[in-house]
Amino acid sequence: MAPDAEDYTFLCPPSKEEQEQEPVYRTPSNYNPRHTFHLPAGAGRHYQQQYDDMYFLRLAKLKPTVEQVATDAWDGLTIAGEKVRRVDRVLDVRQGELCWVAGTVYMHLPMKPNILEDLSKENFTSAPPPLRTYTDPSDPSLTQIMLEDESGRLRLTGNFLQSTQLATGAIIAALGTENANGDFEVIDIKLPDLAPQLQRWNGNAPETGLEKEHGKIAFVSGLGITGTSNDTLALELLTDYLLGYTGFSGHGDNSPSLGSSKISRLVIAGNSLGASVIGDVASANSDEAAAKKAQPKKYGYDASAYNAAPITQLDNFLAEILPSIPVTLMPGEKDPANFSLPQQGIHRTMFPQARAYSAPPVRGDEKPEAGWFDSVTNPWDGDIEGWRLWGCSGQNVDDVLRYISIEGGNSTPDKEKDSDARMRIMEAMLRWRCGVPTAPDTIWSYPYQSDDPYVIESCPHIFFVGNQPQFKTATIESDVPLRLDGDAEMTGTADGSDAARVRLLALPKFSETGELILVDTETLEVEVVKFGVFKGQEEQK
Amino acid sequence: MDSKLYLAENVLNERRPVTYRLLSRALKVHANRAKQILYEFHRNENAKKPQTVHATYVISGIQKAPEPAPTNGHADDEDEMMQSSPYLPSSMPNQDATSDSIRTASIVLAREEDLEALPDLNVLVDANREISSTHGQEDPLECGKQWGMIQNRNVKRRTGARPPPPAAPAVKAPGAKASKPLTESTVPAKRPLQKEASPAKAEATKSDEPKSEPSSTANSQTSSKPSGKAAPAKPKGNLFSSFAKAKPKTKASAPAEPAAPSAEDVVLDDASEEEAEELFPDSTDKVAAATRENRKEREDKLKKMMDDDDDDDEADDEEMPDADEEPREPTPVEQPPPSKPAELKEEVTVQGGRRRGKRQVMKKKTVKDEEGYLVTREEATWESFSEDEPVPKEEALGQCSQGQGWQSRGTG
Repeated sequence: MAPDAEDYTFLCPPSKEEQEQEPVYRTPSNYNPRHTFHLPAGAGRHYQQQYDDMYFLRLAKLKPTVEQVATDAWDGLTIAGEKVRRVDRVLDVRQGELCWVAGTVYMHLPMKPNILEDLSKENFTSAPPPLRTYTDPSDPSLTQIMLEDESGRLRLTGNFLQSTQLATGAIIAALGTENANGDFEVIDIKLPDLAPQLQRWNGNAPETGLEKEHGKIAFVSGLGITGTSNDTLALELLTDYLLGYTGFSGHGDNSPSLGSSKISRLVIAGNSLGASVIGDVASANSDEAAAKKAQPKKYGYDASAYNAAPITQLDNFLAEILPSIPVTLMPGEKDPANFSLPQQGIHRTMFPQARAYSAPPVRGDEKPEAGWFDSVTNPWDGDIEGWRLWGCSGQNVDDVLRYISIEGGNSTPDKEKDSDARMRIMEAMLRWRCGVPTAPDTIWSYPYQSDDPYVIESCPHIFFVGNQPQFKTATIESDVPLRLDGDAEMTGTADGSDAARVRLLALPKFSETGELILVDTETLEVEVVKFGVFKGQEEQK
Repeated sequence: MDSKLYLAENVLNERRPVTYRLLSRALKVHANRAKQILYEFHRNENAKKPQTVHATYVISGIQKAPEPAPTNGHADDEDEMMQSSPYLPSSMPNQDATSDSIRTASIVLAREEDLEALPDLNVLVDANREISSTHGQEDPLECGKQWGMIQNRNVKRRTGARPPPPAAPAVKAPGAKASKPLTESTVPAKRPLQKEASPAKAEATKSDEPKSEPSSTANSQTSSKPSGKAAPAKPKGNLFSSFAKAKPKTKASAPAEPAAPSAEDVVLDDASEEEAEELFPDSTDKVAAATRENRKEREDKLKKMMDDDDDDDEADDEEMPDADEEPREPTPVEQPPPSKPAELKEEVTVQGGRRRGKRQVMKKKTVKDEEGYLVTREEATWESFSEDEPVPKEEALGQCSQGQGWQSRGTG
């Protein structure tokens, strides 16, 4: 670091007269949340429906698309002198006949939670037990993949399935023949592929000078606040950085990547509270259970059973940064929200200080106004700086990963391999056009009846998933005919190609990595800012 | 400009860490200026006597690709080692692999040397907590510019409901400004309670005039107390309670107050103490810093001292016979006056696995009075019940049980 002498103002005594510091202003945020996953409140929410409506709706929405893709690819195709035929329903597949059919994938896995089994064993749990995988690596033959539609099921088989990854709930078209066992021997598969993508700003950019300004969207997940001071240091560095106190906030060229005043919005993707608190409280309760019994029973609210410190600290954190930066807060698995997807936003009363920045409560049928502090659903989609975002706090990827057998079984997976697999799952979700395919099979979900909101009908520009073990990013593109003149560098809207481009973000857990992810609002390029404590000599040991 | 005094007081005397943000809040200066003040202080003091003041730096920069580990232990230029996040192309078909490596900037805290004096950087957390506890009531939208916060022109905050003070509040007492002692600015953050307590004392002893703006929370708590309090004492109680809210330890410095501790004070005291402790319940266990332990001990001592004071005062105070009990009750509101007719009591006993008991129900009773009119009255009567019958409706009972106080039903 060799700053110019006149610019160098840090390691020097203060000047005698107190000079007026010019205030730094933050890049404004253009924010338009969507309410795709907003459930009706109170009496409007029903749980009596059957889940098959969701599968039906999903198939109804996506079958035409995947059939179109398959028709384009396989129409008129002849293999070994036999013409490929299209079959409308899986039950119409005739043995020995080369054909293709579209339907929903259903995977039968040995370790998958089974509600009927739980009921018969009278094994009632409040939440599904955490499993690393539903497959049985010692016996892969126990895994069965089926294709189903409203008419019936067809078991899929063949070597082709080894090279592809599928999960329950995905809509595919499969090409093959039914063999003597009645199984469908698959030789190729087609997916719906990326949904049509809107242009940035939906085609009409605001005419202000915004285009020139390179803003940034900040993403963080897994803050994991436990209320103890151990996890607070990185959080405070983050606070100082976001507020510009660390001193790298200038618009100057000296540290363009650190200019936190460019960050127009912070998105917190779930698990803001740490789990250990719940565990501690639970274990402490069991230890003191005997002692407690001796005490006279108290009715009503018991302050000792509830540790308010984590949420108080989260509130403090939010209240501190909100005066400077707008925040979108998504709940996660460990946050105080409902467990089943879509998780509804953490209620404002949990944040006695930060809620002053939230939108006023909605009255009647008014369209809810986007708050400066927006406590949103999980999954969530919306527009930030003109880009469409679709994100989840991580349950979707974690669950699909359990469908995929990873070598090594239940032992600790190779970190690289693991996060590669997660990246591929994210890509697959976009190509399946389904953000949470395994809901409602193995992810608890609200029983939607008239719509399946997990279907991604408009391809996002940024697809993010929180609480992943490692930061990872990639860009994917839709399967369009090759353009000879296409230059791969352009990611913006300028080139009028139809090719959808999506920035995938696997967000790490802040509590473990201390990483904040910044996405440039013009180029969608990604940077990482890492907060931590220098370990000095300890580290070298 | 008493930054030197402030730093000498806090760093040299109290041996507490001071961060630039704390300094910025305490002195109301820009964060960058606060850093310079810290730098100057660090340089001057260590010039006088080396190793008296230790610095911790925030280092930022772009991480180089992983290279052999740094060879020396100095924190100056070596950033923390970390793995870069190279792009790994997916194996899915049609993947458009842009193999840009991700630029990773790091912001790390680094000690000046391998610190013996500051073995745990977590003590810095305490310094920052002090910001929220002592300066939490300053409106960031107004003061942010002064501190050097990045400003946002579009911030929307709901008016009307002002956010409640942060969990460890330091509520400014009305009228405290008038009699600020001269030492106030030189003894800032560490003992804000004393600072605020002294004007409080002065104010209270000087004038008994009721304040026009007693804090509303204090008001509601006092009014909910069943024991009637003499009217003239109330404004004083409110005044005190607003100080007591500011920090529970106010009392420690005011044992000589004339007839001051009223029941309101005690109750509020307990409440605010609880609040302050609940905020960070584990912090003392987890933080190994010795300095902090010391402070905690001191606080405990103070607390004990003032508890003793309270007890003594309450024993003397004969108007308040229940003052000894009341502070133990977490919610005095829940104690209903016995005379209230609407309160229905219930006694439940468990015998042989069956739950049975008696409860008080409201029953309508109609009698003909001397003049021949029918008078319907509602009376609370007892009736026994067992678990297998539902809670009876009042109307039904009114009809079937005329004037029958006790009604026994077998459970079979």
